[in-house]
Amino acid sequence: MSRQLSYAKAILEATDQAMSLSPEVIVLGQLVDTKSGIFGTTTGLVDKYGPSRVQDFPVSENLMTATAMGAALTGLRPVLCHQRLDFMIYSLDAIVNWLALWRFKANMKSAMPVTIRTIVGKGWGQGPQHSKNLQSWFAHIPGLRVAVPATAYDAKGLMLEAILGETPTLFVEGRGLYSMTDHVPEQPYRVRFGQAAVRREGKDLTVVAVGLMVPLALRAAAILEKEGIDIEVVDPRTIAPLDRKTICDSAFKTRRLVVADSTWQSFGSAAEIITCVVENLGDKLKSKPARVTLPDSHTPMSRALEPEYYPDENDIVAAVREAML
Amino acid sequence: MDLSHRTITQIGRYRDVNLTGVAPDTLLQLYRQMLRLRRTEEAMLAEYHPADDMRCPIHFCIGQEAVPAALSLHVKSDDYLFSHHRSHGYYFAKGSPLRELFAEIYGKATGASGGKAGSQDISHSETNFYSGAILAGAVSIAVGAAFGFKHKATRQISISGFGEGCTDEGAFWEAMNYAGKKKLPVLFVCENNRYATFSDQLKRQAQDNISERVRPFGVRATTIFGNDTVLAHQTIGAEIERLRNGDGPALVEAYTYRWNSHVGPEDDGANAYRQPGEMEFWKTNCPIVLLGEKLVEAGILNDALVARYETEIAAEIAAHFKFAKESPYPTDTNWRQMNYEDASPLADKLLGVADGGGNFDQNQAEAKLGPY
Repeated sequence: MSRQLSYAKAILEATDQAMSLSPEVIVLGQLVDTKSGIFGTTTGLVDKYGPSRVQDFPVSENLMTATAMGAALTGLRPVLCHQRLDFMIYSLDAIVNWLALWRFKANMKSAMPVTIRTIVGKGWGQGPQHSKNLQSWFAHIPGLRVAVPATAYDAKGLMLEAILGETPTLFVEGRGLYSMTDHVPEQPYRVRFGQAAVRREGKDLTVVAVGLMVPLALRAAAILEKEGIDIEVVDPRTIAPLDRKTICDSAFKTRRLVVADSTWQSFGSAAEIITCVVENLGDKLKSKPARVTLPDSHTPMSRALEPEYYPDENDIVAAVREAML
Repeated sequence: MDLSHRTITQIGRYRDVNLTGVAPDTLLQLYRQMLRLRRTEEAMLAEYHPADDMRCPIHFCIGQEAVPAALSLHVKSDDYLFSHHRSHGYYFAKGSPLRELFAEIYGKATGASGGKAGSQDISHSETNFYSGAILAGAVSIAVGAAFGFKHKATRQISISGFGEGCTDEGAFWEAMNYAGKKKLPVLFVCENNRYATFSDQLKRQAQDNISERVRPFGVRATTIFGNDTVLAHQTIGAEIERLRNGDGPALVEAYTYRWNSHVGPEDDGANAYRQPGEMEFWKTNCPIVLLGEKLVEAGILNDALVARYETEIAAEIAAHFKFAKESPYPTDTNWRQMNYEDASPLADKLLGVADGGGNFDQNQAEAKLGPY
């Protein structure tokens, strides 16, 4: 019987193990020391490691990031938690003007191992200020790694790799994934950045699915299989660095590409993924690449519009059928 | 009493430099450090455009030598110092190698930041000196370093040097709130030189001091006449001692003045932002002159000693120019390596490789968000 853990529990376990493995690991964020603990991902850490290693922080997001940076310079390995990505936007100066270029500016002589956890809401009327996924912004910036884990297994491995690595990392967590379980080994293990996972092998078309879209792409695969369409599902797991090789190898095999991404369409990670395939083998594709993404619109609150706004497996199925014509 | 740039010129000629209780050697160190900084800046000003080899913005700090000189006597090598874009004085204060400052400004591989940062972004991590041009960001990171020192219960301190312009930014006040609340070992050094580029503090803020506004946050604050080097030395020294003993944070607001333009050697007088008589007041009260005349009166300094300093400093500056000019330009274009550290020795040591996971069951419903 494999060991099953939810995505949220996997994040908690990774953080717990990192703190246990390295005394330099600390956790900062609003309400990280409460019982509810960031939707259960920090619950109990303060009891185990004490209030100096698990600290609540004022609603000062920019300072929180800068504090983590300064603390990292003294040898600590801070993990920051933002319950909503939208609040993290206050820390853009710290992230973009300082953290991302610290290594560059210091001529590679100084490192800032800071992990920034940020959660993207979805559903129950989260609306336009509790649900934005700005992963593509951050993947655009040199010096940052961006993890977009889709499974509990990857969440744990990437989290440990981020905390114990040397490059600042943005860890984008889809709140919709929090309850989903997966096989999660108990031991502390690593999942490398820039190594995509082929979630399902197939021969007819490649679906590159990011974050929340991974389970949807797999469901689409099951539907399409009944129609005799055999798709391959590639999960990049991290979009910076992006495993272009695995993506292109798959697209070369199937000669067709659909990208399913849980962020806005224009100038987003889906565009980058398509570009890398087209640049490498555009003349070898049998159909035009397609994107399944959120519309270029802010998130509606109303429960009548939420299902219209968020793509589901049927949207992926439709895009694949179109590409197979 | 809090000072004000509005009324400070009424002091006329400042006559309160008081050498009592300060060792002659210390006084001479202060004097020599200021002279060295002044001559360096003058030499760079003179050389800046003619050869066009220093191709980065430089914010000169002539007139503002007292605070860096005072700091230099109290900052220890394992303390961290974070500066704003007017960085040279703080670079001096931290004792970072001068020839690497020169080489950095020339964009050379031997520069403190390998020629990647220039004057306004220079860092020298070997001596724990960092700077940056986006104002309050550096103040915030200094608070983070102080957080680290407190967490590790060391006696190290963090020093943040900035101008009053930086306090327009909200990030500055987040930093005050947190440093005060957590009683962090951080010294905020505000060189209040009145102008953010060409904008008077009173065009941007209701008051022209910072001190009285940081106190309610739990930040102890002292205002001083910033061209009185002995006063700066004593004030900063006392505050740093208190910080090392866990009694932080503190802010020292030094009223001073930059003689040059905001950036570069050109005259920015066309913007007509300075007040009549202001430049004359501050030049009359040059920190080097104010200290020098007292040292001469006290028989500690004489013409021969000044001449010796001048000779030594001129030779040092010439050597640094030579080093900078003769150093090679950087040639490395491995952009990825410059921006990302791919090695992860700690993860290599502590983490294993797992079995790769089982079959993820995609037929699980998404998390149902409850109310809120």
